[in-house]
Amino acid sequence: MNGQSPPPAPSAPTPQGPVHRDAHVLAGINRILQEALRASTEEELGRLCLEVAEDLTGAEFSFFGERGPSHDRLDHIAISERGWAAYGGDDPDYSERQLPNGMKIHGIFGQVILQNRSLIVNDPASHPDRVGTPDGHPGLRNFLGVPLRRDGETFAMFALGNHPTGFTERELAIAEELAPAIVQALLRKRAEVASRASERRLLSLIEGIPQLVWTATRDGQWTWASAQWVAMTGLSVEESLGDGWLAAVHPDDRDAARRFWESASENGDLAMEGRLRDGETGRYRWFKTRATPVHDDHGRVVEWFGTSTDIDTLRRLRERQETLVAELQHRVRNILTIVRSIFTRTVESGGPIDEIADHFRGRLDSLARTQVVATQTRSGKIDLENLIRDELLGVGAIEDERLSIEGPDVALPADTAESIGLAIHELTTNALKYGALRHPAGRLTIAWGIEHKSNNKCELIVKWDETGVPAMPVPPVRQGFGTELIREALPYGLGARTRLEFRGGGVLCVVSLPWSADDTDPVNRSAEG
Amino acid sequence: MSQPSPLADKRILVVEDEYFIARDLERALRAADAIVVGPVATLEQGLDLAETQVLDAAVLDVNLSGERAFEIADRLSARDVPWTFLTGYDEWALPAPYRSASIVAKPFQADRVVRAIGALMPDKGCA
Repeated sequence: MNGQSPPPAPSAPTPQGPVHRDAHVLAGINRILQEALRASTEEELGRLCLEVAEDLTGAEFSFFGERGPSHDRLDHIAISERGWAAYGGDDPDYSERQLPNGMKIHGIFGQVILQNRSLIVNDPASHPDRVGTPDGHPGLRNFLGVPLRRDGETFAMFALGNHPTGFTERELAIAEELAPAIVQALLRKRAEVASRASERRLLSLIEGIPQLVWTATRDGQWTWASAQWVAMTGLSVEESLGDGWLAAVHPDDRDAARRFWESASENGDLAMEGRLRDGETGRYRWFKTRATPVHDDHGRVVEWFGTSTDIDTLRRLRERQETLVAELQHRVRNILTIVRSIFTRTVESGGPIDEIADHFRGRLDSLARTQVVATQTRSGKIDLENLIRDELLGVGAIEDERLSIEGPDVALPADTAESIGLAIHELTTNALKYGALRHPAGRLTIAWGIEHKSNNKCELIVKWDETGVPAMPVPPVRQGFGTELIREALPYGLGARTRLEFRGGGVLCVVSLPWSADDTDPVNRSAEG
Repeated sequence: MSQPSPLADKRILVVEDEYFIARDLERALRAADAIVVGPVATLEQGLDLAETQVLDAAVLDVNLSGERAFEIADRLSARDVPWTFLTGYDEWALPAPYRSASIVAKPFQADRVVRAIGALMPDKGCA
């Protein structure tokens, strides 16, 4: 390389002022600026700058470096092609052209940065600042270093090494002419790389967020739709442009979606909730759509940037929660009203206070049992057999040859179970006091079943049948709470037909409830959707 | 002499699906000298009475075995018969048009209902 002669200099530098920009230097500057954006990396750009500088000055090799993050160290941006070719060491890093980083800023080259000025040294071996060269570095006979400044501050430098006849003011002037172009090219390259990276980040953000993203003109004509929109609605970008996106909006929400744009003002953000069709399942899902205006430098709205966020699950949970809270309030308040009413009736029926307390406690327990079971199952339904067993086992009755409980699986709605449970409680209490559960000879058969009536109607028939009870020395209270419950309340609230007889051998009670076919699911299969 | 009850001889429809609550209402209204129409437990029966009976006012339970009594309220309003809801629901849980209606909250005391119905009746002065 050192055989190359410096390019001819048509006009010699004049000692009075700066060198005229000769055609070669201008061509070099031009090349640096033009190719700056074409270079794929900063290093490639750096090598190009160095090549131009070497060509114009006749230097044999060169490097380009800048102050690193810690400011007192130098990182290489590039070493020229000729520089790498001249490397004579065997450091594997350098053999693979690994740029040296974190070099201490000292020695002759360090003065360029530390003293913030250009420097020619044609006898480096005797220079007071010499520190020698690294292993494998070509022998340094001549040095020309130029600071690179940004906003007046030296942030980088480039240095040329070895010249057939030594560096002069002429080479120095050329290198200083190139310096601003090199700075500009480097900064331009960096800005471009940063902007590309930021664009990529923005795009991956837009395509990565769970929202459907789109842009539109101020009257709602879409100009772009993101991949998420396409994936959700099944509409292609082309199909969605203009007002094509309306095809994915629920028919009932289309008017609102059109009106959405009527309120578009210059500054205000828009928001609405509406349903969008899931292209895959055909189901509509609730989305919250927001649009925000994008302004140009003069504050004019150039387009609207919109996002649609899936709030379907949230909305359904909210609705469900409201329903649950309302139902809970209703149930609690209703049951309190019933308890109040039962209390009044129990007290009104008279008798010793202990007996009133016992009756009321028994009725309250019966209601409580039903409530507990109703809230334990997902469907809120109650198995009739369990309801009856709980009541009888609760008073110590044992299922043996004197007690039979039998019927198919029947799941009662909570309100029906409440009344039937109370009725069973009243019958049990009566049987314990006067009937089959008191007398050793008494028998009790509780049986139920579903009977198909004419015109497709069904009835659930529950039969309480006591036998073997001797004639009562004391007649049972025939007009008490239990009797009213069975004779009046069940027909009133449940539309039941009831029969209650105080016969010679014990009580016979038959309750016939209207029953719809879908109520016949066993408890465990009647879960809600 | 005690004041005559504002409900005296007024025909009051009672729609309530719980037997014991219905009986309590009936008793309270009778004690106030009203004439009770019903009580009935279902939406169907309620609608029937709301259309066919001469009525001065009504007490409507909102939840009738899972059905809502709003249709009965609408029929009564169409006939200019005032009504009050008797319910365990809060106002917010009712559809918007009924939120400003007269509401007696469950659990209730009988005189509350009587007063609420009295408030619905047009003041006929001391005729």
